[in-house]
Amino acid sequence: MRTLALALTFAATPLAAAEPLDQIVDQQILPAFQELAADSAALAQAAQADCTSGSEPLRAAYGEAFDAWIAASHFRFGPTETDSRAFALAFWPDSRSKTPKALGTLIRNEDPGIADPAQFATYSIAARGFYALEYLLYDPQLSAAGSGAYRCALTRAISTDIAATAQAIQADWEQSYAAEMRSPGNRYRSEAEVTQELFKALSTGLQVLDDMRLGRPLGTFEKPRPARAEARRSGRSLHHVLVSLNTLEPLALALADGNADLQAKITAGFSKARKKAEKLGDPVFAGVADPASRFRIESLQQEIKDLRSLMNDDLAPALGVGAGFNSLDGD
Amino acid sequence: MTSRREFLTGLIATGLVPQATWASAGSPAFLSAGKDAGGNFLLAGLTRSGEILFRHPLPARGHAAAAHPVRPEAVAFARRPGRFADVIDCRTGAAIARLHPPNGHHFYGHGTFSPDGSRLFTTENDYENARGVIGVWDAAKGYRRLTSFSSGGIGPHDMLLRRDVPGLVVANGGIETHPDSGRAKLNLPDMRPNLSYLSLGGTLQEQMELPQELHLNSIRHLAMRADGTVGFAMQWQGDVGELVPMVGLHRPGTPPRLMADDDPRVLKLRGYGGSIAFSPDGTQVGVTSPRGGVLQLMDTETGDLLQEHRMTDVCGLAPSANGFTASTGTGQVYEVAATGKRPLHRAGLAWDNHLIQIG
Repeated sequence: MRTLALALTFAATPLAAAEPLDQIVDQQILPAFQELAADSAALAQAAQADCTSGSEPLRAAYGEAFDAWIAASHFRFGPTETDSRAFALAFWPDSRSKTPKALGTLIRNEDPGIADPAQFATYSIAARGFYALEYLLYDPQLSAAGSGAYRCALTRAISTDIAATAQAIQADWEQSYAAEMRSPGNRYRSEAEVTQELFKALSTGLQVLDDMRLGRPLGTFEKPRPARAEARRSGRSLHHVLVSLNTLEPLALALADGNADLQAKITAGFSKARKKAEKLGDPVFAGVADPASRFRIESLQQEIKDLRSLMNDDLAPALGVGAGFNSLDGD
Repeated sequence: MTSRREFLTGLIATGLVPQATWASAGSPAFLSAGKDAGGNFLLAGLTRSGEILFRHPLPARGHAAAAHPVRPEAVAFARRPGRFADVIDCRTGAAIARLHPPNGHHFYGHGTFSPDGSRLFTTENDYENARGVIGVWDAAKGYRRLTSFSSGGIGPHDMLLRRDVPGLVVANGGIETHPDSGRAKLNLPDMRPNLSYLSLGGTLQEQMELPQELHLNSIRHLAMRADGTVGFAMQWQGDVGELVPMVGLHRPGTPPRLMADDDPRVLKLRGYGGSIAFSPDGTQVGVTSPRGGVLQLMDTETGDLLQEHRMTDVCGLAPSANGFTASTGTGQVYEVAATGKRPLHRAGLAWDNHLIQIG
């Protein structure tokens, strides 16, 4: 699926490089959501073909589609926010365990509403999206709860719902939102506002890495929280960090267009973070509870913090985007 | 023969001298602290459309402000843990007084006048004793410190006059800080925020606490509806990304109501309610989050989240004729009405956290 999506991307993208902002829209945002729509459609098909939790083709399709979401999720504005689509795809963190509770209730009651996609789309976001599907595919209890037939129907319902949501996001981007970003006037009143939006996407993406993907399992030294690692049931916690780094770096570089020194610093910073992540060899951050390995996860987190500082101290002023007089306050 | 001084004193005593009013200062609609392009801090008076009527330099970063109910006098409060509050004559820009809290106290950045304008109340940290305090100042005579009383909790932040009965309502944020450790939070594991209702003399009349599972939700900013309903905006000190309510309503004597509870869009506030205001008809309550760059409007009856408006670095929020007025750290002022948001004036400075309605 990935190859097909990329081929479509190149066909749709003019070769002549336009302004950096156009480039980000054409070469990063649109391809990311095309990939998400394509991989999510493939996930829905795979669930139709074989809905059992141990199905390798289903798990592989799930992994591809989840990757595509992680790689697109920092573009969290406009089409992803309509009808709370981003939350419908990805409800995490879930500290009050709403997702397993909602799934357990559906399975226990054999709620028939899930068979109708329009009705399922109105169900609690906690029972929808990639994190809900992860429970059905990988959680020892929920992947065996209730009847196999109902779990199968629920797996298909969630997969179909993910595909529909991804499709709706992509359609909005292609039909209107991309044009509105390329030619500010109505939704964005100036190129500066578009730049601000994209910088925010970058800084938010790094913040999620720092505070959520790493910060949540790290907890504190006295109280590490390995059970809070993102998507640990499918063993994807560290993988998500790498996917995020790989997708945030091109955005940072594109925003630093024309500033070779800063681009070199960005490349070096991402490279250090990536190397530390790759060397970790701890897919679910289980090592947060062990002082020796915890130190290495903290060191990875520090690299992300350094990247955040680089963006706030060097990139933001270069772009003329305020780091936020109020947003940096806390009062 | 009557001296001029005696003559004037007599006139003032009989109320024959027209007292200066806000009209004589150009009838500003709002007060806001800010920072100009040169990095200088100030308090400004704004028109309804966000144009600057006057500005007054401040020695350091301000936060909120208070407007005297009659006289054109504004008080600019230092941002915590600051130790100044400047009283300004808004007609001339002259400094009337600079207030300093007693040793061992600092201001929290908010305050309010008594209904008759005779006293000014300030939220303060008595930090050696880890105690929230309301300072009382004589606004009728030179802003002398009169007394102080307990705020009813730790970390009093915003404070408003009640509308149902005479009295104060104080948002005790629950977070202990000490200037020796800057703005670091010293008591998060056992913080207990509350809303405290006090008489103007400082008697604690009622206290509202949220359920224990929300004890990390610092009650920080307030809005007052004409019927005495208090709107409170919170700041979450727990896990980043946890879905918790950011806004509640409370009427004394009844349980609090949490707005848009469980609606995932509340996560866009990033756990940080910056300012809160009611629409003039009281049917909506708005909350801003500069961290999320968003204003969310909620239905005060159903609690549903009705509308979201994205605005970079938005924080200040006040009622306006058609709905709300919002201000941002980029100097932009917006009107937000049922029809959507409309940019009004943009100033070449950064508007700080709060937009204070005058009158």
